[in-house]
Amino acid sequence: MWKKWVTDSLVVCLTLLFVMGTGPVLAQSGVKVEVDEVVDDRFSESPLQGSLQISLALTGKDLDRIEAARVIVKEARDDRGTDLVADRDAPDFRSLEYNQGKLEFRLKNPPRAASSIQMKGVVELFVPARDANSRVRVDKALAKLDAPLNAKGLRAAKIEVTPLSTQKYKEKLKAQELDEAKIAELRERGKAEGASDEEITQIIELVKALQELGGGELSDRAVVLSGRSSDFDRIQRVEILGADGKPVNISSRSTSSDGENATMVLEPSEDLPSNPAIEFTILTDKAKMSVPFDIKSVPLP
Amino acid sequence: MLRVIIVGAAITSLIALPLAAQKARPQSGTGPIELSVKQLNDRRGGQFFERLQLVVELPGVASGDLSGARVLLRSAVDDTGRNLLDPDAGEPGLETIAKSPYEDADDRKKPATVSFSLVSPARTATSVKEIAGEIELYMPSKDPNSSASVPKFLSFKGKLISHKALKANGVEISLVSDQQFEAEKKRQAELKRKEMIKEEYPEDIIASSIESFLEYFPKPEPNDVVLRIKDPKSAIQSVSYIDASGEEKRGFLREDEGFMFLSNWEGPPEAGWSLRVDMKTAKSLIRRPFVLADVPLP
Repeated sequence: MWKKWVTDSLVVCLTLLFVMGTGPVLAQSGVKVEVDEVVDDRFSESPLQGSLQISLALTGKDLDRIEAARVIVKEARDDRGTDLVADRDAPDFRSLEYNQGKLEFRLKNPPRAASSIQMKGVVELFVPARDANSRVRVDKALAKLDAPLNAKGLRAAKIEVTPLSTQKYKEKLKAQELDEAKIAELRERGKAEGASDEEITQIIELVKALQELGGGELSDRAVVLSGRSSDFDRIQRVEILGADGKPVNISSRSTSSDGENATMVLEPSEDLPSNPAIEFTILTDKAKMSVPFDIKSVPLP
Repeated sequence: MLRVIIVGAAITSLIALPLAAQKARPQSGTGPIELSVKQLNDRRGGQFFERLQLVVELPGVASGDLSGARVLLRSAVDDTGRNLLDPDAGEPGLETIAKSPYEDADDRKKPATVSFSLVSPARTATSVKEIAGEIELYMPSKDPNSSASVPKFLSFKGKLISHKALKANGVEISLVSDQQFEAEKKRQAELKRKEMIKEEYPEDIIASSIESFLEYFPKPEPNDVVLRIKDPKSAIQSVSYIDASGEEKRGFLREDEGFMFLSNWEGPPEAGWSLRVDMKTAKSLIRRPFVLADVPLP
């Protein structure tokens, strides 16, 4: 019943900021943000943490131009005044291809006595069509392995990406393996941050398991890209282009990072043309749009 | 851990739960079982999984002894008076409790846990006032005839497996050889052909129907072992492989055209492996009443 009420009365019309000279793409379009779903997932004392899960839906014209979005929550309170914001840091942009384009974020569980919440924040949209520089196509991208790609668009964005040979990839993996020194360093850092021995051990085991998971043999088709983590954070999407210029199907994508450097492994499910082009979609400032929201009186389930 | 009050009243006589489908009548035990709430998850709202899930711990039952359980609820109410029983829920089946290969002897001594779900309580509720019902535990270790372990079971290919416990429960299991499977497939196709002739179908229709029947006849997957099973009392609870190191590998049975296909995620069984069949018997099923009171809600 609350969902109908939300649909009827909690639709917040957000007018996107007009940017001079950006053409018609979303510039004058109204985008509506609706509360799609609220789930209050509550746990008694246990290792599992509960949360108030909010799902927002975008509606309006030209939504297919929005490639990704993220929700930055600035304020969220229940009707008793409890601060519900769990994390004020900006999350990564999430592709709208998945989860039916719904934008999800988590808040703290409100008390049972609360009956509604209000939220303020910003929905950031990534609209590559607003900035020609957000798409960078690098022809013959795999012609020279183990050397940074030489592309004007990447240089302009101050992004350096190196396609790796299998040999170099294996060397990198080896260098990242957890040895005694790295484990000792992890323990020291964990202790400094107040983690218990058990928690630190669990994290070390998790890191080992993830390394094992990511350390499998590469197929002959695999494409490995390496670079600074901060650069990879600004790359929203990487596509390998087939002979017809369209993206080939990638059956698995994984990116690992040690905080400083990142390695991306793309496993195409079809044979690649010789010397394929790679297209990078870059999160440029010009392609981003900030849309504030202020949603009041959302009933709690 | 949340405090639980065990009520010593003889609840069994008050409960009228349908037992007709249960071939092996469980033992009623000696009174209310000791249990405590280990975890509650009240998932509120959303299109899926809205419910109050409880995990209860049974201090008197070692996890290694428990192979299955079900909770038969009689009443459940929160402190606002909301009924927490799902009116659409049928009688739950006995749920097999999978053993983790990572469990060691100490883990198997730890108290067993059982989970069940209720309707979400009112948002304004602060506790579940009372949950009452019975808990049924399946403990094969209580009855030697509850479990049949057949060493090198693949040597029975084409034959009926002979085992005292299977016999005691009226269960017959035979391993179907490739030749037997093909012969049965042909026999069924021939039966179908004769039926169609009797019903005076044109020859071309009969030919295409038989071709289609053979094409869509169930095919064993590479990991499957094909069985014939007679289980008139529905005693079989689970079937699993035991590998050379003693590790249990859970099997999954699916029935098709009178055959039972036994599969396992990890691969086909090896020559030295055993087959373990766990069966419900009167001695291995134990039913005990319980009452949980004043359980605080998260």
